[in-house]
Amino acid sequence: MIDVKKLYFSYTEKPFVEDVSFHVGRGEIFGFLGPSGAGKSTIQKVLTGLNTKYKGSVKVAGIEIKERTNRFYENIGVDFEFSTCYEKFTARQNLAYFASLYEKQPRSIDELLHMVGLENDGDKKVADFSKGMRSRLNFIKALVHDPDILFLDEPTSGLDPTNNRLMKDIILAEKKRGKTIIITTHNMFDATELCDQVAFIVAGKVSALDSPHNLIMSRGAAKIQYTYYDKGEKTGECLLDRTTEDKLLKSLISENRLLSIHSSEPTLNDIFVDITGRTLQ
Amino acid sequence: MRLGRLICGDIHFQWKYGFYFIYFILTVLYVCGIAALTGYWKTDIASIMIYSDPAAMGLFFMGAIVLLEKSQKVLNAMVVSPVKVSEYILSKTVALIAISTVIAMILGFVSGSNQLLSIAVGTALTSAIFTMLGIIAATKISNLNQFLIVIMPIEIVCFVPPIVGLFVKLPDIFRFFPFTACMNLITGKNSLLSFDMVLVIATLMILYIVARRTVRHMWKSLGGVKI
Repeated sequence: MIDVKKLYFSYTEKPFVEDVSFHVGRGEIFGFLGPSGAGKSTIQKVLTGLNTKYKGSVKVAGIEIKERTNRFYENIGVDFEFSTCYEKFTARQNLAYFASLYEKQPRSIDELLHMVGLENDGDKKVADFSKGMRSRLNFIKALVHDPDILFLDEPTSGLDPTNNRLMKDIILAEKKRGKTIIITTHNMFDATELCDQVAFIVAGKVSALDSPHNLIMSRGAAKIQYTYYDKGEKTGECLLDRTTEDKLLKSLISENRLLSIHSSEPTLNDIFVDITGRTLQ
Repeated sequence: MRLGRLICGDIHFQWKYGFYFIYFILTVLYVCGIAALTGYWKTDIASIMIYSDPAAMGLFFMGAIVLLEKSQKVLNAMVVSPVKVSEYILSKTVALIAISTVIAMILGFVSGSNQLLSIAVGTALTSAIFTMLGIIAATKISNLNQFLIVIMPIEIVCFVPPIVGLFVKLPDIFRFFPFTACMNLITGKNSLLSFDMVLVIATLMILYIVARRTVRHMWKSLGGVKI
């Protein structure tokens, strides 16, 4: 669905995005992870046809972006991190207006509002919406023309835990409906849960590209950490698949001397720091 | 047809943001003002009112509309939709022409003018020209203060010669000044099929080409602004 080969882009003479290549299949969720200013938004602008002066090849739905026409936008939906609605229009009026810009048959506005829990707020002005409500409205605005490809910029930003869960479930449901989804985020936990593949972007380059599971497993197995008392509280650690080899742990268990024990595995955030030497959250 | 839906959207926008309410109040004031004048003055003052307000409303309103769309970041959503630059410009122009022409006809009728067709055509074309100027100015600026500064010289150049020309004879060179031609169309001094009409349409076409370029440039370099 999306095929990028040796993408180079620059605002000045110095390259801003360098040698970026990746492929996203139909029905996949692909995540761009990286600190602010790393080039994630620039890559997204290239993919959505806003930056066309790039080098290399960028094909979205089989169309080389440099040669796109306005019809290209019939099949893509973009959810920005900020609200892009008319403040004095109601939620329903905004959805109806933006749906009218497309030739495709729009999705039911009532169903979309219900999907994100705004069914009782459809006739309220957007100016009266909270940040979380705007975020949810913005999301369904990107879905209203039923696009095949979705670009989501920080889709869970500003949402409370309940709506965060709701949003992630909807994204996964859209994936099941066959949508190809590109997510740009700082949130490693969301990326781990949602994405089939992630690309770490640092200084305009792809530092790593794989599934979250493979990235995590490539950088070390899960560990066990335990505490016990021996002239003061002490801590021990061993790999999860080597527990039987840890004589101290065995003796502590047999003598009931453990104060606490828990397993831990590296997170995508740990992997990001490990690979790029940068922090993200 | 998307252009039709865009025009409806723009009319709805102008309604919701109170543009029509402002013009309802102004029209009532103008009608009262014209009704208070005597015969000879009525048509000339009505022409000045029509030229400087409903016909020129695009210059002021386009600044407000584009700045509102910029500040609410609606344009970000617009540029990733199938809407073309030409459709964006034309829908706003047609929406403003519609209200301009209706108000101009009301003022013309109240003034007792027998040139209502000329007023309608002249106002529609003049409104389109001022809307293009408003778009060109609005795409270049990022707040209301800047906009007011930018349109001040435009107002002086576009308003003074045509209004002065109603009362004194201007040098012949002003026959080639498009805004004097606009005023001539509104007052009905010349027939609709005249050099003035050709000059106005040519000016409109040039401004449309410039407006397309500036809007395309604005769409490519969107940034956050406050109004």
